[in-house]
Amino acid sequence: MTWYEWITLCSLGIFLGTSLFYALRLIRLGKPVDKAPASGSVAPAVRYSMSGAMNPAKKESAYLHLPTYGAGILYHLGTFLSLLLFFFIWMQLPFSRMPVLILSGFLVLSSSCGIGILIKRGWKNELRALSNPDDYISNILVTLFQVGTFLALSIPELLPFYFLETSILFLYFPLSKLKHVIYFFAARYHLGFFFGRRGVWPPGNG
Amino acid sequence: MRIANSEMGTANSELTREQILKGLEPLGTNGDSKLLTHLNSCVHCGLCAESCLFYLATKDPRLTPARKVDLVASIYKRYHTFSGKYLPGLVGARNLDTATADEMVDLLFGSCTGCGRCTMHCSIGVDISYLVSVGRKMLSNMDLVPSTLQSTVKAAIDTGNNMAIPTADFVDTVKWMEEEMADEVGNPEASIPIDQPGKRILYTLNPREPKFYPLSISAMAKIFYMAGESWTLSTRMYDVTNYAFFSGNREEAGLIANRLWKEMEHLQCESLVLGECGHGTRAFRWESPNYLDRGVPFPVMSSVECIANYIREGKIRLDPEKITEKVTIHDPCNLVRNGGVIGAQRFILEQFVPDFIEMIPSGADNHCCGGGGGMLSMSEYNERRIGAGAIKAEQIRKTGAKIVVTPCHNCVDQLIQLNAAYKLDVKIQTMAEIVAEALII
Repeated sequence: MTWYEWITLCSLGIFLGTSLFYALRLIRLGKPVDKAPASGSVAPAVRYSMSGAMNPAKKESAYLHLPTYGAGILYHLGTFLSLLLFFFIWMQLPFSRMPVLILSGFLVLSSSCGIGILIKRGWKNELRALSNPDDYISNILVTLFQVGTFLALSIPELLPFYFLETSILFLYFPLSKLKHVIYFFAARYHLGFFFGRRGVWPPGNG
Repeated sequence: MRIANSEMGTANSELTREQILKGLEPLGTNGDSKLLTHLNSCVHCGLCAESCLFYLATKDPRLTPARKVDLVASIYKRYHTFSGKYLPGLVGARNLDTATADEMVDLLFGSCTGCGRCTMHCSIGVDISYLVSVGRKMLSNMDLVPSTLQSTVKAAIDTGNNMAIPTADFVDTVKWMEEEMADEVGNPEASIPIDQPGKRILYTLNPREPKFYPLSISAMAKIFYMAGESWTLSTRMYDVTNYAFFSGNREEAGLIANRLWKEMEHLQCESLVLGECGHGTRAFRWESPNYLDRGVPFPVMSSVECIANYIREGKIRLDPEKITEKVTIHDPCNLVRNGGVIGAQRFILEQFVPDFIEMIPSGADNHCCGGGGGMLSMSEYNERRIGAGAIKAEQIRKTGAKIVVTPCHNCVDQLIQLNAAYKLDVKIQTMAEIVAEALII
């Protein structure tokens, strides 16, 4: 392994270790306790929370902000794709030209979405007032990760840059709001638990 | 250092170390996965803004739900996370100091009703109203609850009802309403039972009823009478409200709730029917078992569900020709979005209201009227409350309805004020009032 791969391996360890720590801490804390007799069921409500309630037609945060919402979805898909490709690149799995073009095209699009979201954050009063440096840094690192991924797919000379940037992202993860990747699912579970017991979700119960 | 505990509930003097420590207590996440989750979930996307009536009415970027979450989460980060402790500027972590506490009072008490609409629409699923309630608990621990709200809680604790109505006055009002009801049903023997043990139902009221709207007492009494119900009021504990639920003081909320539990035991009634009060219903039905750390040993239902049951069981009949005007319904957030009573009120109105129209949005997605969260008791925020009510006023206006029904006396109060402020020219009624009007006697 090269020196930069060793650095990346160490940072990946920190990234995975802290992710596991956050996830296990949540699991260890267990389900919330509610002594009030339930009006509805938790399981279908949690399923709804993870599915139907996420439908863009059900959420003002989506249907009132379709360009931002759409950009956010593409940006997240680009991030997960980049994470997957990181392992492919590291293992030096061969890609034929057409998949590289398609994947790169998607990553160009998703990273553009990231840049768009970054510009919006700096541009809009409400968002600028709400933001802290982490909001910008997290976006920049993830966008660079996506850009680095599609560049690394085509230009092997850039691999040291790609691995170093990825290492920085992995090391930054536990300090930042990027942790929401773990807490997102827990938040949806808790919402399902709350609205499920009260008979609000799934809709049609009350 | 001086203790901050001003009239306005603002920390206009420096917080003591003891206050800060007490204020930080609710942020201890050991053992609480819900708190840990929601404190770490917000990504500052800001897409929740349009789901908040305070932001919608003012377009003030300070009033977005995300800012309220950030206020609480930034303190959590400062004291409980590595980055917040060592790199506070990076993640926007804040000390719990006078300036932060002042902002918390203004945003968490003065700009949020805890309606939870933003929670449902949050792109992540952050329980924003829950975090606001955590922030309120922090302020309560620091003795920074606005004095107007705290005095309402104190009245309930000291006198047994939040309006400090003397028992003799209450009994007089009930006796007066008894005469009204007996006249209406044409039976001089018809009564409103008080303090009678062994009845099937103990019924509770919002103290606004004996104080300002006594006819809503006779309306529900009329429904009970026609249903042949075995029921009673209590003079010792008839107050369904629990403003400590709003102030964030769990101990005081438990104390108030416990009185109702004890009165149920004292009168040995079978079921508790909670009068038309959204937060009161939520505080007792959903929160009190957790305040008191025990399950409810008796059935509890809202009066809306009780009326719906009477209709289903054929115990009362309603005249579909009595109400001729267009009717809409306002869904109280604590009863509907946070309490799951969504269909019962619609089922009732379907039985006898030929011209019914829903607001858009409605049900669990309905906009708050602006009077929740203890706002009605905090007179210092009156202007903001009425301003935020513009969203509800516009909703009502768009329906073209002449009658707005809402099963919550807090909402009734706010809607009456909105009616005047926005010249809506509508009649505001509780569910019991409109049902009593249409009862076939």
